[in-house]
Amino acid sequence: MAELTATNRWTMRGVFLGLVALIVFMKLLPLNPGPGRFPGPDILVLVTFAWVLRRPEYVPVWMIAGIFLAADLLFMRPPGLWAGIVVIASETLRARTVQLRDQSVLVEWLTVAVTVTGMFLAYALVLALFFVDQPGLGATLIRLISTILVYPLVVVLATRALGVRKMTGGETDQFGRVR
Amino acid sequence: MARQSGSSEEYARPIRRLLVGALLVCLFAIFLVWRIDSPRAERFRAALVDAVVPNMEWALVPVTKAVELAQGVQSYARLQQQNQDLRRELQQMKAWKEAALQLEQENAKLLDLNKVRLDPALTVVTGQVLADSGSPFRQSVLLNVGAARDGIKDGWAVTDGLGLVGRISGVGDKSSRVLLLTDAASRVPVTIQPSGQRAMLSGDNSALPVLDFIEVPEEVRPGDRVVSSGDGGVFPAGLLVGSVVLARDGRLRLRLSADYERLEFLRVLRAQPADRLDGPAGLIGPLLPEAEASLQPVEEGADG
Repeated sequence: MAELTATNRWTMRGVFLGLVALIVFMKLLPLNPGPGRFPGPDILVLVTFAWVLRRPEYVPVWMIAGIFLAADLLFMRPPGLWAGIVVIASETLRARTVQLRDQSVLVEWLTVAVTVTGMFLAYALVLALFFVDQPGLGATLIRLISTILVYPLVVVLATRALGVRKMTGGETDQFGRVR
Repeated sequence: MARQSGSSEEYARPIRRLLVGALLVCLFAIFLVWRIDSPRAERFRAALVDAVVPNMEWALVPVTKAVELAQGVQSYARLQQQNQDLRRELQQMKAWKEAALQLEQENAKLLDLNKVRLDPALTVVTGQVLADSGSPFRQSVLLNVGAARDGIKDGWAVTDGLGLVGRISGVGDKSSRVLLLTDAASRVPVTIQPSGQRAMLSGDNSALPVLDFIEVPEEVRPGDRVVSSGDGGVFPAGLLVGSVVLARDGRLRLRLSADYERLEFLRVLRAQPADRLDGPAGLIGPLLPEAEASLQPVEEGADG
């Protein structure tokens, strides 16, 4: 039983990495170079949060840090800052997984919305503190709103297509503990 | 199964917290290093992108083509209308082609009369767009030509054949990044014709970059042609950039000539640094070889 959960966990980590690679790849496709109409949602963050809130053991914190640092470097963002903010946010959400497990999706959505808003604020604040050029307020707001609105879709995808569901009461981890 | 919240759990939690803290310190330290020594960090980034993205070329290019194909299928609905538009455009183009041919002949004759030598330094390297920046707030594309094989250097101008697209900013061995004119970090000195006003073209993440620092804005009209001015020695002068438009916010902006919707193959202009004129004696033309100089009168005689 213990071995089975351990291998299962590593497969799911692999699945997560594959999903992340796919998202990064899609973002890098030169389909609409130049100024876009609307800045779309930050799917990478949403996928990470949806997985952390369902199965925190599938997305360990070092993996999040590595993924987002690489994304910072590839997407021409200031390296390290967004990654650090995502790590902090994912840790606060990780601490709430047990509370949120029994709540409805609506509560979860609200929590994620508040977290994402806080992240955008912190990011803008730090960039302003360090005198880094920032995109306009309107574009950032559109990105924030679209990010929040898309979250339920990402959750549906994670639960239905990939089978990342919340823990049910009787499940135990590989040491036999009730989590 | 009993709960075995033994000693391991009690120790694991603070250790984990410590490790996460160390991770955060590392990440923010990276950000600080980037802020303090940006050129070095950007070089590292260019090297990393150079190592990762060209390896994905086999997948990036076909997927891009496939999606573009799907988008093309959607436009079949308006096939009839498009066909008519194209025919009309073709007729206009034929007229233009005739004019262009006549001009070309005339130009060839004039060049021949003048014995003009075109600057051989202005050659181009054509590259294919591999990837874009992946972020809605950064306007750049990645080309599959780089420093090792093609000798690309930072700052060279990039066009798409129709107009200026941007400049090289960040070079790897196999790839180079083009900062588009629409990026918020892009500043290009331009001249507005026919009034000859100098201005600065600054991107602001919108499709129409702003024309700043125009000396006499009254002399500038929407529709005026804008070319690069070559001030500061960054760009070759006289590259077409676009035409002036009056935006809804009342500012003079630029409609780019380059087709930003279809950035597929881009030309990088090899620009040699211009000779600096430091002293009055610096202005001396290139020395012609003796043999060639003696040949010239003979050629002239043959042409006449």
